[in-house]
This record gives sequence, structure tokens and C-alpha cells, in this order.
Amino acid sequence: MRLTALILFACLPAAALAAPAKPELTPAQRTATHAMFEHAINIPTVIGRHRTPELAQYVADQFKAAGFPEADIHVMPYHTGSATTGEDDTAALIVRWRAAGKPSGRPILLMGHMDVVEAKREDSTTDPFVMTEKDGYYYGRGTIDMKDGIVGITQAMIDLKAAGFKPKRDIVVLFTGDEETNGIGATNGATIWREMLGNPEYGLNADGGGGGFNPDGSMAGFTMQTAEKTFAGYTLTVRNRGGHSSKPRKDNAIYSLAHALDKIEAYRFTPMQSETTRAYFAAREKSEKTPLGDAMRAWLANPDDGKAADFIEASESEVGLTRTRCVPTRLFGGHADNALPQLATAMINCRIFPGTDPNAIKAELEKIVSDPEVVVTRNDNAVSSISSPLRPDVTGAYTSAVQRLHPGMPVFPEMSTGASDARPFRVAGIPVYGANGGWVIVPIDFRAHGKDERLPVQSLYDNVVHWELMLRDLAGK
Amino acid sequence: MRRIAMLLACISASAMAAPNPLAQPTKLDPEWQAKTRALFKQVIEIPTVTGRGQVPKMAQLVADQLKAGGFPESDIKIMPYEGLPGDKTAALIFRWRADHSTKKPILLLGHMDVVEAKREDWKFDPFVFREEGGYFYGRGASDMKDGDVAMTMALLKLKAAGFKPDRDIILFLSGDEETMGRGATLGSTEWRSLTDAEFGLNADGGCASYDRNFRALGCGISTAEKTFQTYFFTAHNPGGHSSRPRPDNAIYDLADALKALQAHRFTPMLNETSRGYFEERAKQEGDTPLGQQIRRWLANPNDGAAADAIEANPLEVGLTRTRCVATMLQAGHADNALPQTAKATVNCRIMPGVQPKVVQAELQQLAGPKIEVVPDPNYIGQPTPVSPLRPDVLKAVTAAIQRFHGPAMHVYPVMQTGASDGSFFRAAGIPVYDVDGSWGISPDDERAHGLDERVPVRAMYDDVLHWEMILRDLAGK
Repeated sequence: MRLTALILFACLPAAALAAPAKPELTPAQRTATHAMFEHAINIPTVIGRHRTPELAQYVADQFKAAGFPEADIHVMPYHTGSATTGEDDTAALIVRWRAAGKPSGRPILLMGHMDVVEAKREDSTTDPFVMTEKDGYYYGRGTIDMKDGIVGITQAMIDLKAAGFKPKRDIVVLFTGDEETNGIGATNGATIWREMLGNPEYGLNADGGGGGFNPDGSMAGFTMQTAEKTFAGYTLTVRNRGGHSSKPRKDNAIYSLAHALDKIEAYRFTPMQSETTRAYFAAREKSEKTPLGDAMRAWLANPDDGKAADFIEASESEVGLTRTRCVPTRLFGGHADNALPQLATAMINCRIFPGTDPNAIKAELEKIVSDPEVVVTRNDNAVSSISSPLRPDVTGAYTSAVQRLHPGMPVFPEMSTGASDARPFRVAGIPVYGANGGWVIVPIDFRAHGKDERLPVQSLYDNVVHWELMLRDLAGK
Repeated sequence: MRRIAMLLACISASAMAAPNPLAQPTKLDPEWQAKTRALFKQVIEIPTVTGRGQVPKMAQLVADQLKAGGFPESDIKIMPYEGLPGDKTAALIFRWRADHSTKKPILLLGHMDVVEAKREDWKFDPFVFREEGGYFYGRGASDMKDGDVAMTMALLKLKAAGFKPDRDIILFLSGDEETMGRGATLGSTEWRSLTDAEFGLNADGGCASYDRNFRALGCGISTAEKTFQTYFFTAHNPGGHSSRPRPDNAIYDLADALKALQAHRFTPMLNETSRGYFEERAKQEGDTPLGQQIRRWLANPNDGAAADAIEANPLEVGLTRTRCVATMLQAGHADNALPQTAKATVNCRIMPGVQPKVVQAELQQLAGPKIEVVPDPNYIGQPTPVSPLRPDVLKAVTAAIQRFHGPAMHVYPVMQTGASDGSFFRAAGIPVYDVDGSWGISPDDERAHGLDERVPVRAMYDDVLHWEMILRDLAGK
């Protein structure tokens, strides 16, 4: 679930420093990268189409061909499915690049997902499952969410191996096959496959991070994702005796639900801050000389300044960053147009601030609604997500890789409002950092899950270099 | 679309506890009880819900019964047709021919389809026939497979007894009364040569009822009916990712409109039928607050407060004005996406003579500019004329009703709040009277379209005799 991180930072002055030449792929590496990306995009790894195992095998074959030992490459078939997503026979890929000699630490986990969200031919300008290069972009489903990351990690490891790089600690790859739907691959990774993954010290997730440029070419910034809100669903249910619609009763399940929804619309959860969001707003306010910047400064100075937090939350670029948010996404009610409803339900989708128990949000929703006729239930067993601490080594490696490729680029820690494969690992005590190096033009290229998803051509190749730089830094010592 | 039994308050309230009508033995003999029960069980267990394609099976079953009873096959027709798009349904048309009749036929009306019933909403499977505590349970028990069975058994019983009608008796059972009413439309137009009659007797709604103290509440025969019209309230929104709620939301807009609808009151109206009804009611009520309110309103039809007080009385809901109520909800397309559409179904029962377009304009006014209000394109209601109550019908029905319920069960003309198949025939110039002989305890047994629908066992059996008696009276002289 690639985040549509809206990084609408003010224009930053372009760095005037003399920087070392920007590292580039060789023409042969570019060709190999292009071929792998095209092959990956052209396999429609949508749930229910049973094609993800094919992609897993293809990527496994690339590792084998590059000389990674077959015994350390595992395609792991598994089943995914639920009542709302449909079913699929999917697969994960696990590759372990073992350290030469005694490892300097526990493994580094590199994460990504091979599955993509559905894209319909009739909704897209070009066939979403035929990679198309046009106007400096690669078009296709998965170009930014996130086959660019799959290719970035894979090609970087292949290039590093070819260059004779020997990691000082194990590098372990886990590419899952159902992140967009049920996340069973990631759950397995954090539990039953954890030993196979070498019980990693931390994860670097290509399904997070990244950055952008403004349409005028100025730098918008890069983010490293260290936290994500907990995704939890709730249902409001109202039951009524119903009856014939020609004789309306005083009470009506639909009207009771409408009143409950009205209360949720008016409610604001209490503003909260975390290490990540404080660091984010602290970096953010520096480039905001606006009333929004004033609000950020006021809130950082006084976390109890609810008015300042409300002002920030109301800004289009900051929605969801100051607190838990819940919003109704679906309604169902009644069974016939000429019968009073016996049942009316609303699906409430919550993005809960890290560290807050979803059960506490259920209790809070009950209090907001405060109507015994309206029953609040949970739709899932989600547990509270945990923020990953800002490690200097990872933050340093990410910042340095970003700035080698884009000198002067500002880098921010980020709490994402969506959920990803990182969640079960963070819950299991393995910190995860969204650290991809891809970039787009903001906000026009935010098309993950949407129509005509695309990636700037150069971003694909920069991302391979980005992962090489990161791995040399983090696994080379 | 069963009309809800008119609740006439206790007249001649005797100080003595009335006997429980459920405990009184039926006058139907055991052999016909067994036959009636067997057919009732079979038809309840055919789920004749729209779209399930089961109506033709029930039509065939009824046809087979008539054939087995000795009626010629050539007079029994099953007419397949489509109700809602894709709803393969059928009507049954049977003609019992009289020899050398000079009178126009009598048309007996009913419908075989039922409203949807969900297993999870009911205590027991709605499509498994149950007898418990003096009741028959199942979807259609009171709306209106009881009437279908009663008319069919009455015809068979008369035939077995050697009865020879002095005019043709036509049985017309439609297959989509609860949804489109296309069967009745065809029956009153294209199939008119098969259905043309002097008047119609509709079994869709038992007229008699008792209160919880087993006092007779009366039996209302409809002479006018409200116009049925469904409208859709729709809110549109660009939607987006639910992790970033927008300030506007289609569900919230719709909730606001539903609250406005809940609070709205249409202007009270009196017509000839309802004036006659309320004059009768005022006499019965005497000096009760309700009686005083009715007299005030009759004296001054502009006394809105009096009309509001009458409308608020559970006995009189829907009789003083047009009523509209929300019956269904549907919104959103994914749990994690902001809704692009939120839609409510609003079912209206419009006073006779008022055009649905006028009501639409009033609904649009209250819903506001964010809501699109449109009538259900599948069914545009047509206001219908009032049928003058025929003395022969009134006399026959009164005799039958009072045979089973005694003279305390008065028979009155009323305005229906619901529409039924009868409205199509009325509009086509055939007066229709709802005169079924089923009955129940009010309000406990008013479960048509609702949960755990039921009919007293005795009411089912009495109804066979009721129809037999009415037919002997109206077609036997």
C-alpha cells in the first residue's frame, strides 16, 4: 500500500555546493534493469489472477543467474484470501546473501511486495499490464507501487555481487505476494519465516520512503518512513424491528445511523505527537514561513495547543498527521425499498496514531456515538503499530544516499497514514524503515492505486544506485 | 404489498375480558385443514423473492392443484414475464367458467412473490414453514401466500361441493407485486381480455384485527389508496484514500439529508375517503384525546396541530398526509477508500391526487443542493381514482367477517397507505376491494416485510371459509 505522501514543501534553494559527480549505472546495467522492470510490470500480479508465483520465480532466476547460490533462494508459495479481497495462490521470495566470514551483526532485511492493485484496461489510457515508455515516464500498474523497488533491490544486489562486494553481515530479501490485500506474507515473515530470515536486526522497506521534485524542478524533499498509523476497521450496526414502509415507525435504523455519523463527523480525536512526527514537523516548519509554519512552531512548543494542531490537520498537506482519524467509507441498510430497515451498518475506517490500542478507539467511538441502539464492533484483529526509533546508522545511510544522487535534497522522517508490510515486523520488535530511493514529480505523479500509474524513467535507474549506496554503507562495515 | 390492517380503536369496549381469538376452533373441517396446511407449507418453502426465479415453480404448483381439483387444463394459464430486469417470473390466470352467464366476471387478485428475508435476521429460516404457538411462520405467511392458498382452496372446495358459479370467476396471481408490479400492469392492459371483470377482490391484506386484549378493532375495506413512489437520494464526491479524509464526504452529506427528511412533515390533507373514515373514527373514539383531535381537524382542515397529533398516534400513521421514509442505504466501494457515492432509498406514500413530481420537488428542497433527488426510474407511480364501495361487496364481506368474528367486528371503507396490484386495475377502470379474511393481533402480528412474519393458524383456515362464503354470495345467485 504505497503511500500517497503529499510532500508539498516550499521551494528550497538549489544547492550551490560543488558536489562529486552523480553516480550512474553503466549502459549494460541500465539495459538489464529495463528488461527486468518491463518483465515485472507485464505480469499482472493482481489478487485472484494467480500470477505472483510467476514473478517470484522470475526474480529468483535473476538472482540465480547472477551467481547467488540456489540453496539461499526460496520461492515460498502460500495462500491468501478473505471475504472482501477474494482468494489467490500467491508466493513470497526469500533470498539470503550470506556475509563473508563472521557477520558483524544480525541480518539486514530488504522488503518489498510483488503484488499490485487491480487496474482495469478501460480505466487506463494504455494497457496497465504492458509497460509503456512515453514522455520520460514508464507507465503501468506497479511502476511506483512498487515494482520499481523490487527491481531496485534486485538489480543493486546483482550489480554489487558482480562488482565483488562482500557483505559483512547477511542481507536477506523478503518480497511478499499479498501486501495490497491481506498481508499474510508479511505476517509469515515476522513469525514462521523469521528464523529463515535470520532474525533480522531491522528492515529496509522499498514500499516506503522516496521523494519528489516540484513541477518547476525544485526539490520537494525525501522522506524516510519510520512509523505508520494502525489501520483498523469498525462497524456501526443499528437494528430495528422494521415493518412496512407505508407505516413509518418513530424509530428507524437508518435515521439512528445518520445521527451517529453526524457525531463522528463533528468529533476530533485528541492531537498526539511522536518522535517521528516531532522530527517531521521540526524539519517542516523551517521551510514554512506561513501561518501553517506558525501553527507547527506553536504546537511543537506546546503539544497541548489543540488549536494549533487543528489548524495543521486542516491543511491539505498534513491531513492525518496530528492524530487518529476515522472516516465512514461504506454504508449498507435495508432489504427492500418498501420495507422499513431492520438493519443499517456503516464501515468506519480508522488510521490510529501509533501506540494507541484499537480497542481504545472502539471504546472512544462508542462514547462519541453514545446511543445504545448503535453497536460498535471491530472488523479485524489489528494491534497497535509501533514506531521505529530513529537509528543514526540508517538515517545517516539514507540521507547520504539521497544526497549523493540529489545534492542538497532535504530528508524528513515520516509517519505514514497508511499501512504496509512493515506493521507485523514492527509489532514483532523488528524496526522497519521505508527507505526507497525512487522519486516522482509531486503531486501529479501520485497515482499509486489510481489511473495511469507512472514512474519517471530516470527514477528507476537512480533507485538501483540508491540501494547500492545504502547496502555498501550499511552492510559494508 | 400487504396493507397494514386498519386499527380501529375499541368500539363497544365491554368490561369483560374478551376470549382469545387464537384459541377459538376453526370452522374448517379437518380434511380441508390438512389440504390447506399442505399447500401452505409447500408455497412458503418456495422462496419467491425477486431475482431468484422461483415464482414460476409456485405458479406451476397452484396450477397443478387446480387441475387435480378437476378444472380443465385449458382454463389455467401460466404467463411467464420479466419483472425487474433479469427477474424471470410468471403470473397465473385461471378462469372458472359459468354456463350462460349474463354477468361480468369477478376477478380474484393476489401475488405469489414475497419480500426478501435474510436468514441471519430471522430467528428461524424464513423459507422453512413452521407452526408454533398457534401461528404459522415464514416469509409470505401474511403477505400474502395465506391469501393465495385461501382463494385456491376455496375454489377447490366449491368445486368439490358441486358449486356452479353464475358468473366467471377469474383468479389472477402476479409474480412481482413487491417490486415492479409489471404483472398487474400486463394483467390490466395486454392481458385485459383474460382478466376483464366487473370488479376485483384482492386477497392482499386481511382486513380484520384484534388488539392485545382480544377486542375487535374492525375490518377496513379500501376504496382509495396512496400512490407508491420510491426516490433515490444520492450524494457524489471525488473520494480518495481513506487515510487522508477530505473535509467533505458523500456519507456525511447524505446523513445530513436523512436527518432533514426525518424532521420533515408534509402538509396534512383530507379527501372524501379519509373524511368518511375519520368521521367514523370520531364516533368510535368519543371523548378521548384522539377523538377530540379528529373532530378538531374535521371542523378545520387547516388545523395542522390537530392533524399532527392524529398522525403521531400509532393507530393513524400515514392517514393524514403523504409520508416518506428512508428504507435502504448503499455507499462506498472499498473499506479503505473515501466514498464517491452515497445513496439512500426513500419510499413515499403519496396522498391520492398528488403528482409524484410535486413530492420530488419538496424532497429536493429539504435535501439541499448537495443531494440529487430522482424518482426510481423502474417505477413511476400513477395516482389512482377512488373506487366507490359497492353495496353487494360490502354486504358479502360483512356477512363473512361477522360469521367468524361476531357483530363487534365492524366493516368500514378506508384509504390504504400502501399500493398493491389493485392500483393498476383501478387505474384501468376495474374497481378493486381488498377483502381477505385473514386476521391477526395488532400490532404484534403486523410483520409483513419484517422479521418473523406469521399468521394465526386459525386465520389461515378461516380464510378458506371466508372466500368460499364470499364467492357463494357474489357468484352464486
